[in-house]
Amino acid sequence: MSDEITLTIDGKTVTVPRGATIFEAARKLGIEIPHLCYKPELGLPPTSSCRLCVVEVEGAKSLVASCSHPVSPGMVVRTDTERLRNVRRMVIDLLLSNHPHDCLTCEKSGECDLQKYAYALGVRQPEFAGEPVMVQPIEDGPAIIYDPSKCILCGRCVEICHQVQVTGAIDYQGRGFNTRVTLPPGLPRDRSGCAECGNCVDVCPTGALSYAGAQGLGRAWEMKRVPTICPYCGCGCTVVLNIRDNRVVKITGAPGVGVNKGLLCVKGRFGMDWVGHGDRLTRPMLRRNGRLEPVSWEEALDYAARRLDEIRRESGPDAIGGLASAKCTNEENYVFQKFMRAVIGTNNVDHCARLCHASTVAGLAKAFGSGAMTNSIEDFDVTDCIFVIGSNTTECHPVIGAAIKRAATQRKVPLIVADPRSIELVEFAEVHLRQKGGTDVALINAMIHVIIEEGLEDAEFIARRTEGFEELKKAVAPYTPEMGEKITGVPAADIVKAARIYANAKAASIVYSMGITQHSHGTDNVLALANLAMVTGNVGKPGAGVNPLRGQNNVQGACDMGALPNLLPGYQSVTDDALRAKFEKAWGVTIPSRPGLTVVEMMNAAAEGRLRALYIMGENPMLSDPDIAHVEEGLRRLDLLIVQDIFMSETAQIAHVVLPAVGFAEKDGTFTNTERRVQRVRKGIEPPGEARPDWVITCDLARRLGREMSYHNEAAIQDEIASLTPIYGGITYDRLERGALQWPCPDRNHPGTPYLHKEKFTRGLGKFHAVEFVPSKELPDADYPFLLSTGRILQHFHTGTMSRRSSVLDRLVSVGAIEIHPTDANRLGVRDGERVRVKSRRGQIEIAARVTDRVAPGTVFLAFHYREAPANRLTIAALDPVAKIPEFKVCAVRIEPAR
Amino acid sequence: MERMQSVHDLNRIREELRSRPRPDVEIRVCSTGCRALGALDVCRDLESEIAAQGLQGRVRVIRTGCLGLCAGAVAVSIQPGDIFYRGVAPSDVREIVEKTVVGGAVIERLCASGQNGPVANREEVSFFKHQMRRVLSNCGVIDPRSLEDAIAHGAYSALAKVLSGMSPDAVINEVIASGLRGRGGAGFPTGKKWQFCRSAPGHPKYVICNADEGDPGAFMDRALLEGDPHLVIEGMIIGAYAIGANSGVVYVRAEYPIAIEHTELALNQAREAGLLGRNILGSGFDFDIEIRKGAGAFVCGEETALIASVEGKRGMPRPRPPFPAVSGLYGKPTNINNVETWGNVPGIILNGAAAYASVGTAGSKGTKIFALAGKVSNTGLVEVPMGATLRQIVFDVGGGIPRGRKFKAAQMGGPSGGCVPAQFLDLPIDYDSVQKIGAIMGSGGLIVMDEATCMVDIARFFTDFVQKESCGKCVPCRIGTRRMLEILTRITNGQGELEDIDRLQRLGEMIKEASLCGLGQTAPNPVLSTIRYFRDEYVAHIVEKRCPANSCEALITTTCSSACPAHVNVPEYVALIAEGRISEALDVIRRRNPFPSVCGRACHHPCEKFCRRGDLDAPVAIRDLKRFASDHVKEIGHPPVWRGPRRGRVAVIGSGPAGLSAAYFLALMGREVKVFEALDVVGGVLAVGIPGYRLPRRALKRDIEYIRRAGVDIETNHPVRSLHELKEAGFDAVFVAVGAHKGLPLGVPGEDLRGVEDALSFLRRVARGKVKKLRGRVVVVGGGNAAVDSARTALRLGASSVTILYRRTRDEMPAIRDEIEDAIMEGVDMRFLVAPVAILGDGRVHAVRCAEMTLGDADESGRRRPVPTGKEVEVQADYVIVAIGQAPELDFASDDGTLVVSRGRMEAHPVTQRSGEGNVFAGGDVVTGPATIIEAIAAGQRAAQAIDVFLGGTGELPPEVPLASRAKPDESVAQIPRQPVEVVPADVRRGNFDEVLKAYSLQTACTEARRCLRCDLEKQETRRHV
Repeated sequence: MSDEITLTIDGKTVTVPRGATIFEAARKLGIEIPHLCYKPELGLPPTSSCRLCVVEVEGAKSLVASCSHPVSPGMVVRTDTERLRNVRRMVIDLLLSNHPHDCLTCEKSGECDLQKYAYALGVRQPEFAGEPVMVQPIEDGPAIIYDPSKCILCGRCVEICHQVQVTGAIDYQGRGFNTRVTLPPGLPRDRSGCAECGNCVDVCPTGALSYAGAQGLGRAWEMKRVPTICPYCGCGCTVVLNIRDNRVVKITGAPGVGVNKGLLCVKGRFGMDWVGHGDRLTRPMLRRNGRLEPVSWEEALDYAARRLDEIRRESGPDAIGGLASAKCTNEENYVFQKFMRAVIGTNNVDHCARLCHASTVAGLAKAFGSGAMTNSIEDFDVTDCIFVIGSNTTECHPVIGAAIKRAATQRKVPLIVADPRSIELVEFAEVHLRQKGGTDVALINAMIHVIIEEGLEDAEFIARRTEGFEELKKAVAPYTPEMGEKITGVPAADIVKAARIYANAKAASIVYSMGITQHSHGTDNVLALANLAMVTGNVGKPGAGVNPLRGQNNVQGACDMGALPNLLPGYQSVTDDALRAKFEKAWGVTIPSRPGLTVVEMMNAAAEGRLRALYIMGENPMLSDPDIAHVEEGLRRLDLLIVQDIFMSETAQIAHVVLPAVGFAEKDGTFTNTERRVQRVRKGIEPPGEARPDWVITCDLARRLGREMSYHNEAAIQDEIASLTPIYGGITYDRLERGALQWPCPDRNHPGTPYLHKEKFTRGLGKFHAVEFVPSKELPDADYPFLLSTGRILQHFHTGTMSRRSSVLDRLVSVGAIEIHPTDANRLGVRDGERVRVKSRRGQIEIAARVTDRVAPGTVFLAFHYREAPANRLTIAALDPVAKIPEFKVCAVRIEPAR
Repeated sequence: MERMQSVHDLNRIREELRSRPRPDVEIRVCSTGCRALGALDVCRDLESEIAAQGLQGRVRVIRTGCLGLCAGAVAVSIQPGDIFYRGVAPSDVREIVEKTVVGGAVIERLCASGQNGPVANREEVSFFKHQMRRVLSNCGVIDPRSLEDAIAHGAYSALAKVLSGMSPDAVINEVIASGLRGRGGAGFPTGKKWQFCRSAPGHPKYVICNADEGDPGAFMDRALLEGDPHLVIEGMIIGAYAIGANSGVVYVRAEYPIAIEHTELALNQAREAGLLGRNILGSGFDFDIEIRKGAGAFVCGEETALIASVEGKRGMPRPRPPFPAVSGLYGKPTNINNVETWGNVPGIILNGAAAYASVGTAGSKGTKIFALAGKVSNTGLVEVPMGATLRQIVFDVGGGIPRGRKFKAAQMGGPSGGCVPAQFLDLPIDYDSVQKIGAIMGSGGLIVMDEATCMVDIARFFTDFVQKESCGKCVPCRIGTRRMLEILTRITNGQGELEDIDRLQRLGEMIKEASLCGLGQTAPNPVLSTIRYFRDEYVAHIVEKRCPANSCEALITTTCSSACPAHVNVPEYVALIAEGRISEALDVIRRRNPFPSVCGRACHHPCEKFCRRGDLDAPVAIRDLKRFASDHVKEIGHPPVWRGPRRGRVAVIGSGPAGLSAAYFLALMGREVKVFEALDVVGGVLAVGIPGYRLPRRALKRDIEYIRRAGVDIETNHPVRSLHELKEAGFDAVFVAVGAHKGLPLGVPGEDLRGVEDALSFLRRVARGKVKKLRGRVVVVGGGNAAVDSARTALRLGASSVTILYRRTRDEMPAIRDEIEDAIMEGVDMRFLVAPVAILGDGRVHAVRCAEMTLGDADESGRRRPVPTGKEVEVQADYVIVAIGQAPELDFASDDGTLVVSRGRMEAHPVTQRSGEGNVFAGGDVVTGPATIIEAIAAGQRAAQAIDVFLGGTGELPPEVPLASRAKPDESVAQIPRQPVEVVPADVRRGNFDEVLKAYSLQTACTEARRCLRCDLEKQETRRHV
């Protein structure tokens, strides 16, 4: 059988692969067949329900739907005959007979497919006017309005919800003319399982589904559309800003475009209304008489520069520290670290990556030579097994979460989930390993033990590409499944099962996140996962790898740009003389060779008075860092605190100088997402008030400190980055306009690198590390009997600076809650929704209880988004000895009813 | 039962079971279909009665599946003797045990009736005699809950044969060779389907039994699963073996609890016995079946929707390809057949493809099970060979249509099918023939419809069904069927427009062409096929706002009044008679019909055919009550005469029922009317056509006098030579109602011989007293009322013998049924299936030479066409009266170019009776050809209204004032039987022209009138509620 099929469409011959549909073949010829239900750009399977795409096939008894009908050799197809036009006209006629004719005021007007085809086919008045659907629009939440009377039941929304988003919240209900697409009857949207991703809204061809927040704010032809990158998590989704009158009216996906292929999550789609929020900082401020007062840029910058200069002269450059930002662009982070190193003269520069993936950077660098996600998001389409550990992917990285669910449901890829909580992915998992918090090393070692014991290791790979296997073998020998069960609480049989599934897959992918990294032994966790991947040969090929999911939109980029105390841009060690010399030459300065302080070390140093000034760009340690009380103590002792941000964050409130910066929608630049993909951020609107881009502010400060740092524009910064950073060496704005690039991309002709360590690890041979299970620093005891774990929820992000200023997200989830198991709640006499007092050795908060068996008995879970109940008042600043990452995931607390 | 390890075990067990001693008597009681009517009570009482009589062990009561004759529930058959009893109730049990079981005697009361009285033997009962029960052979025979019973009757023999050495390919080839086609509806060759699935790559493979039987009125699959589940299971095992499947699913609708229960039980039994599950009969072949219950969605009968439903998804079809044979359940190759198809498999394997294919037509082999429902006497489950005709099913097996109504059409294939009109009664039914005429075989639902079934309403019903059952996925089906329903509802409400028919057709074609699945692609069939064959009914609803079947609620008052062409308010006057207010009753009749005396005697009373009481026992004797009223009130009375000045002059040509009715109503509406009658007597056909023994002259005279009193001027002996002369005379409008008085000739040699005469001229001569005596042998040719009237008249004139020659059979005779009956009782000889080819004689007639005929295929009306056999026969005759039809005489019209004449009749608008564009109106037989009195009266009524409007009036008939009690009848009236009318004995009446029927007495009339169910009150009530 030939794999190619030749057929004739409208008299033209075309050859397409076997299995292609008539629609696809026609498209190849440039023939666009009318269609309403089909939406191939978003990966929706054809449902053939609208019947608009029917075509004539010679010899066929009836008309066939081109969207689903496969081609066959010699087929003769006609796509535009009078017979077909009649059928199509009647389809449109029937749809219009059941549709309000309010195009004049419809939100969708101008981009409505029904309107388009009614016009194209000349259906003016429906001949078969009859009873319409008389249903009032349903506004059951802040995000989505559903008007069933405009629904043409094309099924796109149902398909995207089931097949692509794999939420399955909506479905058809009823039969015949009364068929409707609905949420489960009787359940309000917020309890229906709907994730409010709004992908259904994007695919709706009519005005049936629309953005609640965009009603009346403009229609298709009035919008300027600017594609850019989402500022929330590390997925790096392409979002389209729909702008009218310098206002971001709504966010849409670009079908088929970006790592998200047009899909978005609730935050990316509905959580952007903070952009035009009234709280935005619009003028620089100086603290005078204990109060922050608006001043001119000149005054603010002069003051900041003068004080920095004084402190540097008084106490040396190392008395000054800088926190760069995982939210800012690569260019801004590059300029910032250059400012610290070249202008101030210190390596005291770090950023919040310290709090999330420092252990990844450290661990993977040790094992592989490079601390980044080895493979690509697209690889979930080809992998044969997914092992998710310590990642609540569907909430924290929703678009990747959906990709994992798709693999599990559509391709039946076995999914292993290791998580102390029963997260959503557990529903899709073959096996759920519910380990006790902080016991990951034991779990992974036990899996490796089983693999070696059963001879499932990839001996060839181990021999050819790795070193240190014998030590590993020795180290895991005691970790029998039974031993694993004893430490982790996971049944031995499940450990064996998981090990076999993982080891037997042709290409198995490990996905992890902060459940692995935020431990005092986070680096060991990462090393153990690297061991697991290498022992089975799952590195250096598509669909495999060790894949840390980065938490912030540009945390990867901020690391890449050297906003780290020990590394220059591109992970070039500050202690390496040759590399340092390269930068010294380029910048024309001397760079200190001693690594600087990390985030938590800076707070400690501040508290001790060793650090006198801190320049913070877009970070909020007052909420994000562990043991806030201690953080506040340090910050308040500073002689100079400069905060450059878009909102008056908790940290800015105690600053001496506050500088208004611009948000993502207001600037150009690049973000690097979790899979090392460098993507263009594009300016859509003018910033509010006097706000300025961060890099401009930093350069202005530099100038006042006597060093000219000036760039014509962002592209020029990128060119400097490329010239000094081999992994970014081939990345230019010109190329990025044509498509994003994954580093390493060493030269202008390099296509980028979808997966790392292909033939050879970055460090040469992959190195096994013998790691031992070490208990967490602070475990529950009689006084503090609960193990507290912290993390994120779907609807909010980080310290809530953005997400809690989104009216949609804030209405979806307005108050925080601590998850507590029913048995524990019962014992404490706490009912769902009641307020509890949570105490640790470092502080206490009050918050509502959510009684749920998502958490295991004896453990509680708290998101850290809420300033009114800051989780980090409770957390411990116990640090990983290598990565200096704090142990956010495990500390001991006591809970009592707050009556 | 022990677990069988081999085919040998099975054969041994079968032999053991068969050699067990059998009870002396076996009583088989349908305990599935008949359960709703108390079958289990009958069984229980039988068992206790048998115990009471000490007959345990000797007599066995078997609770079987469906015996077939659902109309005869509870159905029982008794061995030995294969005695069949119908309508058995617990109260019959004792008698059955005593007389039949013990005494060996037949209880005639419980037997089915045949042409010559009760029939005891099941095989001789017409319902069974014309069937060929192959698939159903054990249904109604075995206890479906007993594996032993099934095995003893041959179950799993075919499986044994397969496992004894047939390869999967051999099995498939056998099924292909048998010509078996899918019984679920589409008729795809089953063996081919199996082959596709077998050769499709992928594993595991599945087989599915589709028991999601959802067509209204269909219950074949249900009965088979209930009555012989092992047959279906055996078929599935064989199929699975052939295809290479190891698991199977029976998808059965949850509304079939007994089917589910019996299937579940059978599966468990088969599993325990080693016939299902691992290593079936030691063959190494594994196969098991699970049951999935469908939630009642019609669309789940569609295979891709069914698969989705089995997978736990919403039952919605998906586009094909890929076909289930390639990608079905869980994306694996899957073969789906329906219950009956699986049920055919064991027979094919056991008896061989050739034996199987010996029955059927060229393209459709074997038998087909139909669920016979609707307006047919023997509703039930029937199995006939492919190629049987609809007539055989409906009339031979089904026993014809109750209440003497005519067969109108059959809906085949449920909502996806189409209606098959009477003209195809003799079409051999198979997959291909049915499709050609716009229906489909479907799964075998067959709903019979008679005259009282409105075809528009039926189309609306099925469209309503499909639009509700549409899964809602594709646009044409979801919205298109709804729009069709709206249009149909509009039409049945009398709000349609003629363009709607075209809209329905275009929409229907589009839905067929563009829908995603079979449901939508066939949904418009009922509409399109009814438009194709019954467009007139659509037009009647739209143009005349009339439902010819008297069924569309919005267009009828009560069925009787609506069935009356003149729309006499029947319930009102019947109620008044019941109250003893006879004179008021007569007034009510006369508001719409000035001929109560005539119609009380000679009307063919369509009202009674549609009387709802007739569904209970017998219709109210409406005609006899009218006769009673007209006789009982001695005074002729006075119509509500127009008091004002008369405006507008109208000429009426002809003083028959049409002419005089028009004149009567026009006079009441204030017009000046003059009737011109060519003869010297008034009344037209009433005076000179209908013999006195049916319509005494004095009765006619009373009605004519009443009409005159309304202000009608009648001029006799005034033939109108041309319409022109009337216009000259200053008439503003003319109503032509000259009737049809010209007898049609036979067109054979010898018609000019003496002694040969046409019926109308003969009757006219008798009426005028020109003929007093008739001697010798009289032969009447024809089968209509004129023929019967002539024959009975001839008998009364003294003919030595009277013979009616008719080219068809008695069933096809158009004459009024009672008249035929009476004629035979009076001694008229009837010879059927003969058609004169020559009249022989020598100056005077002495014989008629006839061709012998036989009945061929149906004509347009559904009656079978007479075709010559080639044989001829001579009938001796001294007189020959030709009564084969009449035509109008239109000589007067020859000079008038404005008249519209077609095929020898005048044309007129069905509502206004207007002929052409001028001031000429026409009605009665001159327009319709020979028809009935009441239709002529109605035409006169309509013409009067239209002429009044034409002359500037409102066209309103005399108002009807409700007078009778509004009290609903109490339940006791259900007990009153129809009151018989006294008839003069045949030997007395044949000697004179005295009236044959006597009138009711006041008391019997009141009693009869009380039988009316007063549907009119219901109607008023619903109107209030609406």
